[in-house]
Amino acid sequence: MALSLEGHTARAFDGDLSSLHIQAVAMGALVIEQVQLAVNAYSSWDRSIATLVLERERKINLYDAEIEEAALQVIARRQPVAQDLRAVFAIDKVVTELERAADEAKKLALTVLAESDASGFRPGAATAREARALGRVATAMIRSALQAFDLLDPGSAASVVKQDQEMDAEYANALRRLLTHAMEDPRRLQSTIEAAFIMRSLERIGDHARNIARHVGFIGGLDPAATGVLPASLTIKN
Amino acid sequence: MEAAQAERAGINLKPSGRMPEEASSIETPVETGKTVGNIAVDDPIFSCRDVDVFYGEKHAIKKVGIDIGKNQVLAMIGPSGCGKSTFLRCLNRMNDTIPNARVVGSILLDGKDIHDKKQDVVQLRARVGMVFQKPNPFPKSIYENVAYGPRIHGLAGDRVELDEIVHSSLQRAGLWEEVKDRLQHPGTSLSGGQQQRLCIARTIAVNPEVILMDEPCSALDPIATARIEDLMEELRQSYAIVIVTHSMQQAARVSQRTAYFHLGDLIEVGETDRIFTNPRHRLTEDYITGRFG
Repeated sequence: MALSLEGHTARAFDGDLSSLHIQAVAMGALVIEQVQLAVNAYSSWDRSIATLVLERERKINLYDAEIEEAALQVIARRQPVAQDLRAVFAIDKVVTELERAADEAKKLALTVLAESDASGFRPGAATAREARALGRVATAMIRSALQAFDLLDPGSAASVVKQDQEMDAEYANALRRLLTHAMEDPRRLQSTIEAAFIMRSLERIGDHARNIARHVGFIGGLDPAATGVLPASLTIKN
Repeated sequence: MEAAQAERAGINLKPSGRMPEEASSIETPVETGKTVGNIAVDDPIFSCRDVDVFYGEKHAIKKVGIDIGKNQVLAMIGPSGCGKSTFLRCLNRMNDTIPNARVVGSILLDGKDIHDKKQDVVQLRARVGMVFQKPNPFPKSIYENVAYGPRIHGLAGDRVELDEIVHSSLQRAGLWEEVKDRLQHPGTSLSGGQQQRLCIARTIAVNPEVILMDEPCSALDPIATARIEDLMEELRQSYAIVIVTHSMQQAARVSQRTAYFHLGDLIEVGETDRIFTNPRHRLTEDYITGRFG
């Protein structure tokens, strides 16, 4: 069941909370694009897309700072309690998760830009395919979590758990293949490690999505696992 | 720009038709006598069950049951006319003074019914003191304001003992340093906050077990309010305190337990930590978040 940030006698309070919420959702939309662009930049080894990712990263940081400031203002001026307090708290945490997810996307872009000249770490066809597959799952996870966050619906946040299992399986497969590849030719060790870092970044983006889902559950109640709003497995990953 | 990005990403940024009515999974019905949360405490000074209050035909309090713990501050909150002050006044039988008010149910102070025929009401009001919204010192000296109670209750054997009671009461009320050089000045010469602390000193001078406070800070400025709140934290080491307040922030600051009243029903009672972060009843949530009415 969806929750509501509205209905206050002081309607300006509705506006303050909604604005905070909408800003965070908009930031999330930007992060999804960042992840998609970063995966494209890496898998097609495109320096111009990677540059775009870095440029847009500044906007993410701006969102992060603005929403944090707005949340601080709501706390100082409105002294929210109960669900309102949990919402402000959770929105701030969601924004932190989004910012970190965007940081992981930035790592992909930096890899492309740093090694573009030498092209030593340019992914082979199989690695590029795996990065795209992991990127697809990571994007889907953030999208699911953000939809639950947009609707303030703790129940629908639970679908992120299933996607996380898919992510874990994909990630394990990718690592196994990379390891086999490196064992076949130790000269490939450095590029393999670099590719493993990329996979790890994408897997981390999935973790951040999962944490966002958990924060949506928190808005619904302090102890989502106990109240059955979310499965107990939906715990915060660091 | 954001909207376009969100749309491409498949996210609906528009408000999603979220209505307050469908917003919550917490309890919503009001069932008289069915309070959400634990009304009992381990070591109660007051134990109230099925308390009804009628003003003539008006049913002001409906089947209210709650314990009041020793060394605790219990805050009672709720909209105007919800019955919180009426309930507070039951605890030292102040409603007896209102014509056609009728109190039914069991109110035990230390296990004994306060409506028992043998109960001396003056004695009861010494054990259960009260501080009102507007400071109401007697038109006498500061000293006499505090000495009056111990004198009529025969608590002091001689002048030295009485001086000692006045001194310690003013000290405990945090007023001694400010008034020690002018004890013979009229109580009404003090500031509002000082007058309220004088009333608290007057209340504790007769060794009460419980102090009832009916919006004790609503006529005070923030500094005087902070001093009273600080004092409450100290006083609860020795007494149980029940405070009625319209300020939810005050309830959150000073109390260990909070009770929410609505139209004569005790809707929810619980640890203050929980009530202000995770209330269980929809009406409590709506009231404390400012969604009421």
